[in-house]
Amino acid sequence: MNSSLLLSVTTFAYFGSTALYLSGVVFRLKSVLTIGSLVALATLIIHTVGIGLRWKESYDLGYGHAPLSNLYESLVFAAWAIMLLYLIMEYRTRQRTLGVFPALFAFLAMAYASFSTSVDAKIQPLLPALKSNWLIAHVITCFLGYAAFAVACGISIVYLIKKTNEAGDKPGAMMAMMPEARQLEELNYQLILFGFLWLSLGIITGSVWANSAWGTYWSWDPKETWSLITWLVYAAVLHARTMQGWRGKRAAWLSLVGFGCVLFTYFGVNFLLSGLHSYATQ
Amino acid sequence: MEQQAGIWQKINKTLGSLKLTLFVFLTLAVFSIIGTLLPQGMTEQDLHERFGPGLGHWIESVGFHDVYRTGWFRFLLLLLCVNLVVCSLQRLPKTLKLIRHEEGDINPDKLLKLSTHVELTTRLPWEETRSRLTRVLSDGFASPKVSLSSDTYTAYAIRGKWSPLMVYVVHSSVLIVLAGALFGSIFGFKGFMQISEGASSDEVILSSGHQQITLPFKVRCDDFDVSFYDTGAPKEFRSDLTVLTNDQPVHRQTIRVNDPMSYEGITFYQSSYGNTLKLAELELSDKAAGISQKMTLRFREAGSIPGTQDRVQLVQYQPDFSRFGPAIGVVLQKHGQQESSGSWILVNMPDFHGNRIENYHVKVLRTEVSQYTGIQVKKDPGVWLVYAGFTAMLIGIGLAYYTSQRKIWVWAAPKGSAQRVVIAGRANKNSLAFEAEFTQLCERFMNDLK
Ligand code: HEM
Repeated sequence: MNSSLLLSVTTFAYFGSTALYLSGVVFRLKSVLTIGSLVALATLIIHTVGIGLRWKESYDLGYGHAPLSNLYESLVFAAWAIMLLYLIMEYRTRQRTLGVFPALFAFLAMAYASFSTSVDAKIQPLLPALKSNWLIAHVITCFLGYAAFAVACGISIVYLIKKTNEAGDKPGAMMAMMPEARQLEELNYQLILFGFLWLSLGIITGSVWANSAWGTYWSWDPKETWSLITWLVYAAVLHARTMQGWRGKRAAWLSLVGFGCVLFTYFGVNFLLSGLHSYATQ
Repeated sequence: MEQQAGIWQKINKTLGSLKLTLFVFLTLAVFSIIGTLLPQGMTEQDLHERFGPGLGHWIESVGFHDVYRTGWFRFLLLLLCVNLVVCSLQRLPKTLKLIRHEEGDINPDKLLKLSTHVELTTRLPWEETRSRLTRVLSDGFASPKVSLSSDTYTAYAIRGKWSPLMVYVVHSSVLIVLAGALFGSIFGFKGFMQISEGASSDEVILSSGHQQITLPFKVRCDDFDVSFYDTGAPKEFRSDLTVLTNDQPVHRQTIRVNDPMSYEGITFYQSSYGNTLKLAELELSDKAAGISQKMTLRFREAGSIPGTQDRVQLVQYQPDFSRFGPAIGVVLQKHGQQESSGSWILVNMPDFHGNRIENYHVKVLRTEVSQYTGIQVKKDPGVWLVYAGFTAMLIGIGLAYYTSQRKIWVWAAPKGSAQRVVIAGRANKNSLAFEAEFTQLCERFMNDLK
């Protein structure tokens, strides 16, 4: 029983949980939603044990460091954070109908981490530059922010579907189970402000770490700049709320743009760095 | 004059408008994106090479090769600050009123107009009703301000009184961070230092513009050491440094990656390492003239070849010259000739036919190499201001998220044989969360007044 076994079980279990949430909503069966939620909770526990085990395994190999130092480990943590935030929200709002997208995002992150060839799952030693507890603080805060934005993105999609349905003549049966548009809008806002807090903390820990380690708290390198771009878009979403005409659908669309930036910050920039040789990093 | 006021009014309104904020946020985002798609910091020559003269010149004129340092990017940041200040000044009076004002006269009609309200009647005696109302309000929400007249009871309680101010903390933190960055860029510097083991230096090559500045003190690298993981990746590298003022050691510290040394506001960060030549023993032979001489030259110090008028100097050193191993760049100044000539001499391949300059064949007998430590040097007097801004921002956003200002009013008066009670509440944001809290509070009122 090692961490990679547990984490692959987690991947498939998240797929199961997505299917349960989806069928619960499509066939309007509350019991199926409850099962989906229980499966999600059980998987999150296995997921947590898997991450803990990988942490221990890295110490056994003599490279002892928190499992947050490469693409594989950050993907696994991202999935974990998404599921954790969603289940907390599910518990507090007693709404189980919004589980489809968070479970789907968690599954996709785990699947990409385990199956894609470009992701190396091996436990490796830490480069000297990454040897600092700022690394743990920086990665965790950034990913809590991204996870909140991921769940908010799921809610924005549901909100937009619900709004277009309502505009149409026959409101879709599926949407009937979903919470009111007003509650979706406020949940979206709550999550975005929560994510904005963690993304700000993420950027700040990254900046303070860079300053304490290499002497520059901001060097406009593509990775930093893209997290700033994401931050600016979500700041725009927060402020759009207080403007008439921007509150409902436009804010939801902007929130999707924001999540697009999150994905690009996370995946695109690595491609960008290797794709275009950047003179700045000479 | 009145027309004048109109224009000023309009400018003031736009400068403080949220539309402008959205515009500035999204424009900053778009231009920052351009800065990541195009490699930054390219020189004119690189631009021409990569994009051709026409496009290259256009990119440079528009400033896309150095987006974050161009005038209009800085103008956008300035516009953000102006927008922030004007908007805050416009909204501050309303916020302060929200905090101080306590809704003087509380009457049922006003309360019933609020979206979150409840009306109920109770058979309890008048005194009993009043004391229970006050108790439930202070236990369940906050201790109220109660006022009594002959036949009416009114109570007012508030939570998160200062919450509307948190947004001003967030906004001023943005100004503090930008001010710190500006202050740092004006009064600070950033550069790089290369010190060989055992040597000392006070010269810093600035990272922008490549000029050189001299520090008010010397830094000596007493020892440099690097260790590797078994996979060959560098595990850790560190340097033992001593600060010398007029050659007297005043400070000693070991620096590692992530663990810098600071002295007199200047910080030294371990950033890289490499090898440089200290000295080399050469054998120069000229078969035709039947000369074969040995000499030892310190790096970059010229010396004349014994028995001749020719002078030679070691000017460059490469630890690995395109996979041929270490090589030394040697320059020869022939007696009586104007220009000097130079060539690369491969250290590990003595008989390589290319090891020649003019008439001499050069063989490297011995070299002494010393490791140098690469140190990033920085002075940034604005850093603590930036950090203060960061802290204020986190506190501000955190409190803006977790707190909201919530007010509860209670009005009661006898009506016939029972008492009529009206309860209402209002929050400055997160209205749904407040509605849930309000309903819970009303349940407590109902149970208590049964
Ligand atoms: C980088 C710059 C800025 C940041 C990080 C920022 C951040 C924030 C945050 C976190 C909130 C709280 C959201 C909430 O509690 O609902 C907020 C609210 C607000 N901001 Fe900004 N803001 C910025 C710039 C501006 C500017 C330039 C204006 C000028 C109009 C502005 C006007 C407002 C207003 C009117 C609110 C709503 C206040 C309220 O809901 O009580 N912000 N901002």
